[in-house]
Amino acid sequence: MNLIAIAILAPLSMALLTMLLRRQPAALALLGAAAGLLASLGLLTDAFNGRGSELILPGLPDMPLRLVATPLTALLSTLVAVVCSLVMVYAVGYMKKDNEKVRFFATLLLFASAMQTLVLAGDWILLLSAWELIGLSSYLLIGFWYSKPGVKTAATRAFLVTRSADLGLYIATFILVTSAGSTDIAATLDTRGGLAVAAGLLLLIAAMGKSAQTPLHDWLQRAMAGPTPVSALLHSATLVAAGAILLIRTAPMLPPETLLVIGIVGGVTTVVTGLMALGESDLKRMLAASTSSQYGLMLVAVGAGVPMAALLHLIAHAAIKSSLFLGAGVFQHSRDSTVLDKLRGIGRDRPKIFSGFVLAALALAGVPPLSGFFSKDAIIAASMNSANIWILLPFALAGTLLTGSYMARALRLLWQGNGKSRSVDGLAWMGAGLAGLVFLAIILGAAFPAVESLLGARLPENSQVQFLPVVLGLSAALCGLALGWFVPVHRLLGPLLPWSRQGFAIAGGFDNLIIRPVFFIARTCEKLERLLYESVLATGRAGLRLGQAVRLNDEQGIDGIIFSFVRCMVNLGGKARTLQSGLIHKELAISIVASAMILVFMLITLLVYQ
Amino acid sequence: MGPELVIALIAGAALFGVGIYGALSQTNLVMIMMGVELVLAGAMVNMLAFWRYLHPDNPAGQMFVLIIMTVMAIEMSVGFGVAIARFRAKGSVEMEEAAELKG
Repeated sequence: MNLIAIAILAPLSMALLTMLLRRQPAALALLGAAAGLLASLGLLTDAFNGRGSELILPGLPDMPLRLVATPLTALLSTLVAVVCSLVMVYAVGYMKKDNEKVRFFATLLLFASAMQTLVLAGDWILLLSAWELIGLSSYLLIGFWYSKPGVKTAATRAFLVTRSADLGLYIATFILVTSAGSTDIAATLDTRGGLAVAAGLLLLIAAMGKSAQTPLHDWLQRAMAGPTPVSALLHSATLVAAGAILLIRTAPMLPPETLLVIGIVGGVTTVVTGLMALGESDLKRMLAASTSSQYGLMLVAVGAGVPMAALLHLIAHAAIKSSLFLGAGVFQHSRDSTVLDKLRGIGRDRPKIFSGFVLAALALAGVPPLSGFFSKDAIIAASMNSANIWILLPFALAGTLLTGSYMARALRLLWQGNGKSRSVDGLAWMGAGLAGLVFLAIILGAAFPAVESLLGARLPENSQVQFLPVVLGLSAALCGLALGWFVPVHRLLGPLLPWSRQGFAIAGGFDNLIIRPVFFIARTCEKLERLLYESVLATGRAGLRLGQAVRLNDEQGIDGIIFSFVRCMVNLGGKARTLQSGLIHKELAISIVASAMILVFMLITLLVYQ
Repeated sequence: MGPELVIALIAGAALFGVGIYGALSQTNLVMIMMGVELVLAGAMVNMLAFWRYLHPDNPAGQMFVLIIMTVMAIEMSVGFGVAIARFRAKGSVEMEEAAELKG
């Protein structure tokens, strides 16, 4: 059987089995994730050996559904499988006390399966379906604790925002497929000219929604209402990554104009959400803002024309951000809160977990030799080599600086101060998942040259100033770390602090600029629809009346005539009955009179005809 | 056609008339049945007269009368059976009181 099919079907079948058996969900989930991981690793090994595989399923006429394992998709599939498996291990411990494990693990497996389909998809139709599926399953997972206040709103908001942005993907797909005449992604990448610009911008909109880029970043922080393993998965390798993956895969098609827009959107996002993360008072929300910021950096890399750098950062970020979230989940269980004030001093209570968290944080900030250093360096180098160096480089450096600051601030708050933790069940499982991811976050940098050779794309090397990006990136990261550790945030941000706490009012401005007009349109549409509805109803009522009239005519006209005959006969019968009195004399007399009449009649007849 | 036939027909008609009068005037079931007997007897006299004076050589007329007499006897036995049953059930065979056959 094809490894692609196993990678997708193993989690899916286990999800179904979990729903059917309704017991041992954790074991089934681990089994499904492990089988998917093995299949993905098999695909990656094949890719290293230069063998790709393809799975063609019958789809629409002349548009078969394709699943392909090119080096890029195999790599992404492995990434998804690894993060999913480790998060699954962690979730066994995290969800130990939850009563709805079956629903949780089944949805998580569905999510994993949908994401595998997304990364392995070789044609637009399958990609769109998987895109929708991850939207649905993330909605289910964010709203997992639906009875808690605010969770339903968060899930709906996440779903609606990503869903509206998905319209961009739909239109882009339409443009690409009609212009290329094929649904094959590789074939559509040859699109050029104005269509490519339009499709690229539309793809950017879809990616902005999924990857939570400004001004659509608001939903990601609210999505923190879901369980922490879900956040870890959403932010690292799956939902949010889908946007960046989309842009990385379509990067060969994107014309310079679109690339510039992508770079600017990414740059603005990385600064805006970085500032939000710096001012944030809740650990998980801070990590969410940081995710937006890091994806902004990836968009900067794509915009600089080096999707390879974005991919490296995506890989490194997947390991780093999931370890950060897993650590945050342990802290959350220890203190029953994610508010930074309540988490103060937690580092001293959970030293092992905290050391993993610190390593991941330093990796995210870009401290060598951790993985984040190499990918950040690649991004800064990419922006320096770009034609738009003066636009993209400041953004990349500012993003790096902000990353260091907010991570250092979080570490400081988690380390200093005092608090009381309670013991946590399932710490061993959570620790195991976390350890695996932290290990990846540390060593992944060593694997980057292999990835580059696998994909056959070298990072641009500037021979004259090869050390310059390293120096710039490292100094920005270290500056950021020092600022975040030593300077309190209110002094760092100054008057910006209340602004950043409100998400720079972009959410509010968003309300006024977009939501109000949309609501107005919706209300108008509703009125129109009501009018239509009323008229349809009136037509229906008129038809009903006509029918009633016809029925009345039928009942009282035609049936009336027939029934009047019937009544007549009944009356006649009644009258005839009165002749029968039962009295012998009367009947004798009647028969005699009748016989006499017959006799008279016969006599008359005789006389007349003789 | 001689006077005998006319005399016989008159006798038959008289018997018929007496029978009808009896059947209509009497209220007792037995008496009514006797009236009916007389009506039938009148009819038979007519029949016999026609046979005897018009076609004496054809025995069918005679046989027919014999059959009528047999049927009459059977009819009477049934009628008296009804009368006895009625008497046993109601203690009377007065027909003015019997209207149960009303439909």
